[in-house]
Amino acid sequence: MMGQQDRVDQFKSEISQMGVADPATGRDRMLLIIGAVLLIAGPAVCLIGYISSHGTTNPLAQNDATVTAIIGLSLTVAGGALFVRYSVAQFLRFWLARLSYEQQAQTDRLVEALGGAAAPAAADPDRVTA
Amino acid sequence: MTAPTPLNAADADRPENATAPLLALRGLQAGYDGITVLHGVDLSVEPGHVLAVLGPNGAGKTTTLRVIAGLHPALSGDLLVAGRRVNGASPDELARAGLCLIPEGRGIFPNLTVRENLWMMTHGARGAKLAQIEEAAFARFPRLGERRTQVAGTMSGGEQQMLALARGLVTDPAILLLDELSMGLAPLVVEELYALVAQVAAEGVTIVVVEQFASIVLGIADRAAVMVNGRIVSEGEPSVVEATLSETYLGA
Repeated sequence: MMGQQDRVDQFKSEISQMGVADPATGRDRMLLIIGAVLLIAGPAVCLIGYISSHGTTNPLAQNDATVTAIIGLSLTVAGGALFVRYSVAQFLRFWLARLSYEQQAQTDRLVEALGGAAAPAAADPDRVTA
Repeated sequence: MTAPTPLNAADADRPENATAPLLALRGLQAGYDGITVLHGVDLSVEPGHVLAVLGPNGAGKTTTLRVIAGLHPALSGDLLVAGRRVNGASPDELARAGLCLIPEGRGIFPNLTVRENLWMMTHGARGAKLAQIEEAAFARFPRLGERRTQVAGTMSGGEQQMLALARGLVTDPAILLLDELSMGLAPLVVEELYALVAQVAAEGVTIVVVEQFASIVLGIADRAAVMVNGRIVSEGEPSVVEATLSETYLGA
């Protein structure tokens, strides 16, 4: 074990290198709510576009309605992205981290096993393997 | 004011530059569901020192430790670790750097054996192997060595608390946060555990210990603070705090 002064110095160094985001819990929550609102508002804007185009034969008005619908679609996509980023991804990152760790451990075990199998084979070149 | 005496023998081992706090809280506020439970807490601990935070049930002691460990967000104020503001840092980042919380209720895995509980720490123990971890843990806690294959949940409360301490210490913490070590334990066991904590403190680990029962913890502390209703109402040398403890608790 290292000396306590070294440990404190190492601790200070690790803390100084730590990537700490500003406390963003309030901002994250706000973006999550905005995402959810956009997910609802986007399809509503699309619906408004559809209704406005349906009630007219004027091509200019229909063009406007098309633009409205595209804006609605964009809002839905943006809202969906925000919602996924600040809700599901937040929840799943632990699972992903665990999965990644397990995969790494599995690879290490495999490499170790292959290394163990290769060593006796190298020691005995006459060994016949099926 | 008198200088703290219990750990004088260990002072020589303490880190230099012990004047700058390793951990500091400045006007920290935190709460649950819109209800503020910490109303501007100010505390600081210098490297290698032991700070005892005392107070009655519901004073906010555990919340304070949870905020320090990154398990609970601060509403406002500053959490400074090694001089850096770390509000919003995740608990795993802080733990990886060397900030270790031993929670109230021990936080061990009751259905795993002692060995398996220690095994879980191989992920957090700075690349240490299980054999090294076991060696270090059993050297400090021989009784755990005798119980290495026993399921943790079947051990006595004191032994479970030892396991919790052992698990925390194998991570080689720079700051150790202890929450109600004495909870549910017999006085003799508590004395034994605090003797171990004093030993860890003498090695120079910075410790913040939260307790309801003052007498033992004040014996190992360099400084003490009393928290009531989410506020630090008294802070100073343990002997001074001890003298005014009943007045502070009762608000007389």
